[in-house]
Amino acid sequence: MAEATLEIVDASAGYAGRIVLDAIKLSARKGQLTAIVGPNGHGKSTLLKAISGLVPVTSGEIHLDGLRIDRLRPDQIVERGVIQVPQGDLLFPAMTVHENLLMGAYANSGGLAERLDFVFTLLPKLKERRNQTAGTLSGGERRMCGIGRGLMAGGEVLMLDEPSLGLAPIVIEQIYEVIFNLRREGRTILLVEENAERIAEHADMIHLLDNGRIAWSGLGAELMARPEIVETYLGV
Amino acid sequence: MDVLIQIVASGLTLGAMYAVATIGLSLVYGSLNMLNMAHGAILTLGGYICYAAIVHAGLHPALALIAAAFFCALVGLMIYFSAALPLLRAENFETNIFIATIGIGSVIENLMLKGFGPYPIPQPLAVDGQVVIGNVHIPLQNVFILGVAIVLMVGVAILLQRTSAGRAIRATSMNREAAQLMGVRVGRVYAQVLALSGALAAVSGIMISSIATLTPVMGGDPMLKAFIVCVVAGLGNVYGAVVAAIALGLLEAATQYVLGVRWSFATLLLLVILVLIWRPYGLFGKQQVVRL
Repeated sequence: MAEATLEIVDASAGYAGRIVLDAIKLSARKGQLTAIVGPNGHGKSTLLKAISGLVPVTSGEIHLDGLRIDRLRPDQIVERGVIQVPQGDLLFPAMTVHENLLMGAYANSGGLAERLDFVFTLLPKLKERRNQTAGTLSGGERRMCGIGRGLMAGGEVLMLDEPSLGLAPIVIEQIYEVIFNLRREGRTILLVEENAERIAEHADMIHLLDNGRIAWSGLGAELMARPEIVETYLGV
Repeated sequence: MDVLIQIVASGLTLGAMYAVATIGLSLVYGSLNMLNMAHGAILTLGGYICYAAIVHAGLHPALALIAAAFFCALVGLMIYFSAALPLLRAENFETNIFIATIGIGSVIENLMLKGFGPYPIPQPLAVDGQVVIGNVHIPLQNVFILGVAIVLMVGVAILLQRTSAGRAIRATSMNREAAQLMGVRVGRVYAQVLALSGALAAVSGIMISSIATLTPVMGGDPMLKAFIVCVVAGLGNVYGAVVAAIALGLLEAATQYVLGVRWSFATLLLLVILVLIWRPYGLFGKQQVVRL
């Protein structure tokens, strides 16, 4: 089995005394795509925020390559290579695409030119739009820019929060192609996705999050072979 | 024609002073959502530090200006660590910091009153001479103020647009959470912004006192006008604030000439009311939807 890159051990987290995540236990391994699926509002985005240090972990631990990271500030977690592409991208709308990409490399500016080349090769549309302000991009371009900005950080762990949300099917295909390419390159991908069917056949491991707890874990094909789970939790 | 030259010269000088006073205020609001009510007191403190550095310490005026900017930057940092940082951890930050900075401003004002007395003092940093355009005599002091303001505004623009630290400030003001996800240490950005705001306030205070006089309460009027500029431009919009400051300076100069000095402030307030009715988010601001 591949080396565990990101390990979450019985982690609970929440906002202002309200527990959203309850004793979560999962791992994301190097060169694998780990998917988190589940209904809306059940803690998927909070899980990524907790890993990024934006939401405090109240109990349990999060480790990156054996090093505990759940007590670190968000900037320290980014410096250690855990990068999140948040839901809705959260681009800097008044900055150009190029400036957004530079912000991605804020914590790690070494080899900037090579990384820009890499991003522009992977996402050629961004090169065409590099001088356009991010606020004027289309939905698909915004998502591409968000992923490109995440890649500019040069992190080994890339967490994507619903990258397909609200996009046309053809754009979703393009975005997933980019994600699968990144996995082939050996990145650790942790992907939050509401649509389990979309990711089931591609994910190395799927975790079903329900009411802040891991309700089921297994391979994608196994999940789709359990219609009672899919129907109960995912409404498919 | 001479009247027009006079109005433009006076308006640009006023606008330049307002712009420098407003940039810091606007940067702080844009980044922290913090209305710094101590801004006027810091501005006055800058004027007094410059005065003390020249008269009592015998520093060269240029060094005195730098010393005042540095000292007020430290005051900005002090406000961050003593008030903003602890209040950021609690709820209702915007209201609490508004009240806290009123208190800090009052303390600074009273310390200046104690240290320098209540009587007006002339600012020694002054440039003698005048420039003649047509029949209009423009004091070199006004040209100097305009020059310093342009240098500062260009400097701030370069900082914000061309440097990594500047991009971090802009990113934090656009979306704090996204900035954190890029590895920006937002606490450091807040401290930098308050220090920069303090330094700009000091220079603004020196310029204003150089064409008026130093008194412990002289910061009230420029701070009020800086708030007017901020509201007209749209709170937190730095570039809009510069444009609005110059425009309001020209309007004030024109009003003073056409209607008289006593009507200038009333005209500015009327303009703010009209702007708030027409565009509540300011001329250059963006409409925001707040979820309650």
